[in-house]
Amino acid sequence: MHLDVITPDKKVLSEEIDGLSVNTPNGHIGILPNHVHLVTKVIPGEMIIKIKGKERYYAITGGFLEVNENKVTILADYAVQSEQIEVEKALEAKKRAEEILKKTKEKVSDRDFALAQAELRRAVMELRVANRRRRVRSLPPQG
Amino acid sequence: MATVISLKRRMKAAQNVSKTTKAMQMISASKLKKAQYAALSTRPYVQELDLMTKNIINAIDKISFNHPYLKSRKTTGKTLLIILAPDKGLCGGLVSNLLREQIAYHKKNPDNSFYIPIGKKIEGYVARLSKDVIATFRFGVTNPTFDVIAPIMKIIDEYYLGGKVDGVKVLFTDFRSFFSQIPTIATLLPIELPVEVAKGKQSCFYVFEPEASEILPDLLRHHVEMTFYHFFLESFVSEQAGRMIAMQNATTNANDIIEDLRLEYNKTRQAKITSELLDITGAAIAAA
Repeated sequence: MHLDVITPDKKVLSEEIDGLSVNTPNGHIGILPNHVHLVTKVIPGEMIIKIKGKERYYAITGGFLEVNENKVTILADYAVQSEQIEVEKALEAKKRAEEILKKTKEKVSDRDFALAQAELRRAVMELRVANRRRRVRSLPPQG
Repeated sequence: MATVISLKRRMKAAQNVSKTTKAMQMISASKLKKAQYAALSTRPYVQELDLMTKNIINAIDKISFNHPYLKSRKTTGKTLLIILAPDKGLCGGLVSNLLREQIAYHKKNPDNSFYIPIGKKIEGYVARLSKDVIATFRFGVTNPTFDVIAPIMKIIDEYYLGGKVDGVKVLFTDFRSFFSQIPTIATLLPIELPVEVAKGKQSCFYVFEPEASEILPDLLRHHVEMTFYHFFLESFVSEQAGRMIAMQNATTNANDIIEDLRLEYNKTRQAKITSELLDITGAAIAAA
């Protein structure tokens, strides 16, 4: 099964995979080879893909997903692999966004408010995915 | 023959021009890098989005699902043409190429278009050509951000969904390479199906989660917005490439002129010295 993850910035991923799971408005779904042709929306959260028995974690924001003849295409606004998440930067972004949100609404324009909200959501999600990766690593190897 | 002083003045002027154009060339070159990155990295996304949308449109039942973005209609016979042009000049033939395309379009479809010129360099011309200019916008001098399309989308919605026009087209400059930027008219609305897909290959059946009526409007809207935004990026990178090449040529020309003038200046100076020496020796001989 082939997976393409494309964002407006770049092609994040184009690889043969064994399976993946993402969040959709109807809940968490898993896609394995020979899945029925499917169109759905992706909502912000964690995406797990499996390549040759190994799991990889991605933080992904909203987008669309299409399954067509064992070819999965995800068009997302933003996607990053857990190893590439910069925790410091995400923490900083979270702090910055929270400060803006704390101000009363009169001081902040609606647009800035919405931007800060989106930034906060993204930062929190990135941190969650990054933390999860650490937990996974600290587990003893399965025998 | 020109005097030494006037030659010197002309050389100075050419040098100034060369300096200015060189600086502009360098500014465009640095802007071009960023713009090119933005435009080229968005391209695969837009292409894939386009493919996905068309695949899906082709697969759905068009009778049960009827979105205004997909319906081609002929009620008013009018079109809305949006023209993307730079705010600043000195970018080679870019603006005049756009204008030529626009005039050709206007001749073919007289009096059945509304216009939205974007960019200072074209709004005056368009206003002179037609009365049906409904709004003008600035293009901006930095890399366009996604926000720029919001106010224009509002007008598009008002005219297209409000039934005042049958379609929306965009005239923009397609960036092929540094040396070739081609003015192109593309249809934004209704979303067009490519002929080969529309005809053959009764394509596959899709499962929609949630309902198609919930996903598709979002997808179509996203498709229109991204396509439109991508036109902005293409236009901007074309502008920068056009300006860089134009300024490069201008610098080369100025340097050629400087060289010619220097040659002439040296000759004139030499001739002047020679004639002065002749004067002095002549006078010395006469005095002796």
